[in-house]
Amino acid sequence: MQYLSQSSTAGVLLDLSGAVILLLAFACLASKLFNRYVAYYGAQSVVLAFAAGTSAVAFHSTELWVLAALTLAIKGIAIPVAARRVLVARLALKRDAAMSTGLSTSLVAGGALTAFAYLVTRPALLPHGSAAAAVVPLSTAVILLGALAMVVRRHTVAQLIGWLIVENGVFLGAITLVATFPFIVEAGIFLDIVAGVLIMIVFVSGLTRQLAQASAAELRELRG
Amino acid sequence: MMALAILTALTPLAGLAAALAGARARVIGTAQAAGAAAALGCAIALLVTLSRRPPLEGLAGFLYADALSGFFLLTVTSVTLLAALGSIPYIGAQEDSGELSRFQVRLYFSFFSLFATLMLASLETGNLGLLFVLIEASTLASAALVGLEGRARSLEAAWKYIIISSLGVTIALAGTLFVFYSASALHPASNLALPWPYLLAHAHALAPQSLRLGFLLAVVGYGTKVGLAPMHTWLPDAHAEAPSPASAMLSAALLNTGMYAIIRFLAIANARLGGTYPRAVLLSFGFASIVIGALFMVRKGNFKRLFAYSSVEHMGIIAVALGFGGILGLYGALLQVLNHALAKTVLFLSSGDVSLRYRTREAAGVTGLLSAAPVIGGALLLATFAVLGSPPFGVFLSELTIVRAGFARGSPVFPLLLLALLGVAFFAFARTITAMVTGRPPVSAGRAPEPVLVGQLAMPDGQAAAVASTAAAPAGSPTAVAGPAEALASPYRDRTATVMAAVPLVLGLVALLVLGLWIPAGLDTVLRQSAAVIG
Repeated sequence: MQYLSQSSTAGVLLDLSGAVILLLAFACLASKLFNRYVAYYGAQSVVLAFAAGTSAVAFHSTELWVLAALTLAIKGIAIPVAARRVLVARLALKRDAAMSTGLSTSLVAGGALTAFAYLVTRPALLPHGSAAAAVVPLSTAVILLGALAMVVRRHTVAQLIGWLIVENGVFLGAITLVATFPFIVEAGIFLDIVAGVLIMIVFVSGLTRQLAQASAAELRELRG
Repeated sequence: MMALAILTALTPLAGLAAALAGARARVIGTAQAAGAAAALGCAIALLVTLSRRPPLEGLAGFLYADALSGFFLLTVTSVTLLAALGSIPYIGAQEDSGELSRFQVRLYFSFFSLFATLMLASLETGNLGLLFVLIEASTLASAALVGLEGRARSLEAAWKYIIISSLGVTIALAGTLFVFYSASALHPASNLALPWPYLLAHAHALAPQSLRLGFLLAVVGYGTKVGLAPMHTWLPDAHAEAPSPASAMLSAALLNTGMYAIIRFLAIANARLGGTYPRAVLLSFGFASIVIGALFMVRKGNFKRLFAYSSVEHMGIIAVALGFGGILGLYGALLQVLNHALAKTVLFLSSGDVSLRYRTREAAGVTGLLSAAPVIGGALLLATFAVLGSPPFGVFLSELTIVRAGFARGSPVFPLLLLALLGVAFFAFARTITAMVTGRPPVSAGRAPEPVLVGQLAMPDGQAAAVASTAAAPAGSPTAVAGPAEALASPYRDRTATVMAAVPLVLGLVALLVLGLWIPAGLDTVLRQSAAVIG
């Protein structure tokens, strides 16, 4: 196994990207504005593309280069732009009020989950001194934070962003843990994400329209 | 043989082709059923070949089929055929009554055939990464089926389904990564390209700690698709809101595909970690599911939710059987997969007929089914006893095998607990269904929507006009639609459709009966070979 050592330039850069990605996940968890969710997710994906590029240089892999480009184009640009235009702007979403816990509680829970991620993935699981040993706990924490965001937020758009953050966490783990999947599989994963986001956008729009109609009907019933 | 495997996965696309060509429900449905029948034929031919020859490998490890995949292919193609046959009258009736637009009908069949193809393809791949891709894609296709009716409730169910399942499957991908990581000592350059048979053959060289985490994550992740408690929460909503033939596909095909993925990981885990750890994981999730399923079945309410909780319970039974292990436990688990799939398909298809007739999905609103519609009522009753494990149906045989496997393991606690929970489930399920099939049919002019509301609420114009034309009394009087006690109107256009609706029910019940009395020698061989694969 060609380990990427923790002290090599690529290892340090990957470690740094992982930390930034985790911070952006926390930022998402701490925010209350839909615009910010999308912005933080976009920024996270751009950093992820940078991490994939670093990995590509280190492993001398063309496939990883393609992957980095795809990440930048799809997750960094296309999905945030689509989410902003089709969901946030068209549905006039501003503040997210549908939370089951307060912000501070969810941040404390996020901190606890990060500690838990280190506890689970640290001991003896990964070769000591490798870049993976530093990044995999970070990526596990990102996965858990995304899942937490999905649990504490009840708004569909927030849950969608939460799932995308989980996906980013898995991807971060993948590029440092192991080389890459065969290209067909990677392409398939991207295709799944794009199709998933499209179908979810249809559902979100449909649900919002139905809810709007339902509340309008309520208003009519309560009249006079 | 490779051509056969590819044909098995691709023939259900006949429905997609017909839907794109813009045919009407009955024509598309017939094409879909023909495609599914062809797929079943290919699957049987493939299974016969596989039971005599070494596993099929091809396309750089992306294509892989052994007896285990062959057996699951047989199960899924049978379910697809029955559900496609059931779709013809069900979707046809909804198209006639205007509940589904022509666009929705075409959407339904397009996603139905994509769903079937993606599931069949995921049973034929030897690459665990591609397995993830195909299973996630089948989630997306089936979510479109759940949300098809476009009402707030079905959209909400579809949302819950897609978001929980996608999260689950993504976690399974993380598990897959850890399993591949455990293999990094084997093949440094490209360990993610390793096909499943290679991993199994070199299981002794896998890193145990990483594999343990990977297996757990895979069970949690794919367990979300299987509906193992506590990740089952999407399941009752999605099953209740999907069109009934699609519910049958979800319950009898999709859940089993998820179980197939878990079994592939289980085989590797068994080979490296020994039995104890995988057994503990599967027994915990299995018993949790049986308890949750049985308890929620006690509650009365929507009968499709009842069937859905029964699916949770049965998936739990299969997980427990895999946990018991040994040739007996694995044999029982696989047999249970096939039997449960057939019984649940018949139940969901007959529930579709019931909801068309009675215009409700609440068990309390349905009485006297046996006198109103003897064939459907009879099929519902027989399928109920079949799914609950009464002799002489197949489920009895497989559950008996599983309990025997439990006793063979030593401690009698688990099999006795299993028997007790099966008893609770039997009582809860049968109580609701017997109330539905016995008694007198409700007194109402069957087809009028929500007749009770007439006197209480001002209705939209169209509905009021419809009521006024069916009942000659002035709208607004509470007795307007309460006619004499007579058989509920048949939801179908003509006699052919009525017969068509009964065909898949009878086929499924006959298959269940045969499996209860006699397991064909060929099937027995395949089951033994598959059990040997799991180890």
